[in-house]
Amino acid sequence: MITLKKNFFSALILLFLTIIICFFSAFEFLRMHENKKIYPSKGLSTQTKLSTYFKDLQNTPGDTDVYIFQGQKKGGNLLILGGTHPNEPASFITAVLLVENILVSQGKVVIIPRANSSGFTHSDSQEGNPQGFSLETTDGKRWFRYGSRLTNPIHQWPDPALYINPAGQRLSGTESRNLNRCYPGRIKGRLTEKIAYGIMELIKKEEIHLALDLHEAAPEYPVINAIVFHENSAELAALALMELQIEGFEFRLESSPPNLRGLSHREWGDYAKVRAILLETANASQGRFKGKPSASLIVNGKDKNYVKAAKLGRLFVPFDEKGIPLKLRVARHLAAINALVSGLKELAPSIVVELEKMPPPSLVKKEGIGCYLRAQK
Amino acid sequence: MQFIYHLIVFYLTVNLIWYLFREKKFWNQVSTAIVLIIFLLRLFLIK
Repeated sequence: MITLKKNFFSALILLFLTIIICFFSAFEFLRMHENKKIYPSKGLSTQTKLSTYFKDLQNTPGDTDVYIFQGQKKGGNLLILGGTHPNEPASFITAVLLVENILVSQGKVVIIPRANSSGFTHSDSQEGNPQGFSLETTDGKRWFRYGSRLTNPIHQWPDPALYINPAGQRLSGTESRNLNRCYPGRIKGRLTEKIAYGIMELIKKEEIHLALDLHEAAPEYPVINAIVFHENSAELAALALMELQIEGFEFRLESSPPNLRGLSHREWGDYAKVRAILLETANASQGRFKGKPSASLIVNGKDKNYVKAAKLGRLFVPFDEKGIPLKLRVARHLAAINALVSGLKELAPSIVVELEKMPPPSLVKKEGIGCYLRAQK
Repeated sequence: MQFIYHLIVFYLTVNLIWYLFREKKFWNQVSTAIVLIIFLLRLFLIK
């Protein structure tokens, strides 16, 4: 008769428990891979995939939805990119808000809400960030993912010790998974470089005139509440700034440094010769000074550590007890898009883009985002 | 690359299971099981 030791039984029980825990947590992790539905407005002309422009992305985690709104009249072509960094929710939510509301009467608007769709499938390690956050709509709550700045390592592994990006800039290895360091991309590159290449191909094939990359940054980061512009868009950015100041939105202008390579506002302008602009708002949930990470911090943007940091003069934006809520950050993006589109009308009348039914920034700031979103079906 | 990743994670997972059955102290076994959860999830590329 075989004698089984006590430690064998306990090991067997623990192994069984481990498998059970793995089974249930696997569901939680795999839920993050589901893309929550976006409900486009009636103005949508075509919904396609990024792989339409670069076949290598087909059936990869880098493929993502592209929404095209074509106006009746010919005009300019505008690209709006959200979700380059999935831990910057105002970027993604602004793109969703536009897809679900706008009508285009002149020109063409191309929107990619999840530029790095792989980044939406996981969370940053050891940050304790929530998997998502919900927004109250008129018909109930709607849930959105809060992802990672970088491509999921299970989709692109391993990171090199030193990353030399397609534009020749030397960066730390993890930046090989940062979409906004991988432009203009590589045909035979790794997944993130292929996504960047796909976006460059889209810019060329859709004959884009103005390309906007929506972002957020920590309140202690110097490039904040800013319009970062390629030198070919300096005049446009300056015009937009004046309009924004009239509307009561304080922005600063930042010129894209010519020696900082691989970023959208640099390479879109240099390689695709389009007017390239990146927009930044202040997001406390991605900052290093923040307290406990939570869905409330993402949506309401209130954090007492940041209030203290502001009092000590450590921040580049004003921060008080009211915080910087998501609705204000989204309103800032919408206002900047409006100002840039009207600036383009003034500077280049042959490439006008006319947007209708765009959620008014002042109302988004006051009433919130939810009333412009459709409820989850 | 993914094959090499799988190979490394599989090797470490087998080692952990081997250690789990050989270890005499209960709390050390519990610690091993906790580490094993992460390795099993990674083995099936769940993140």
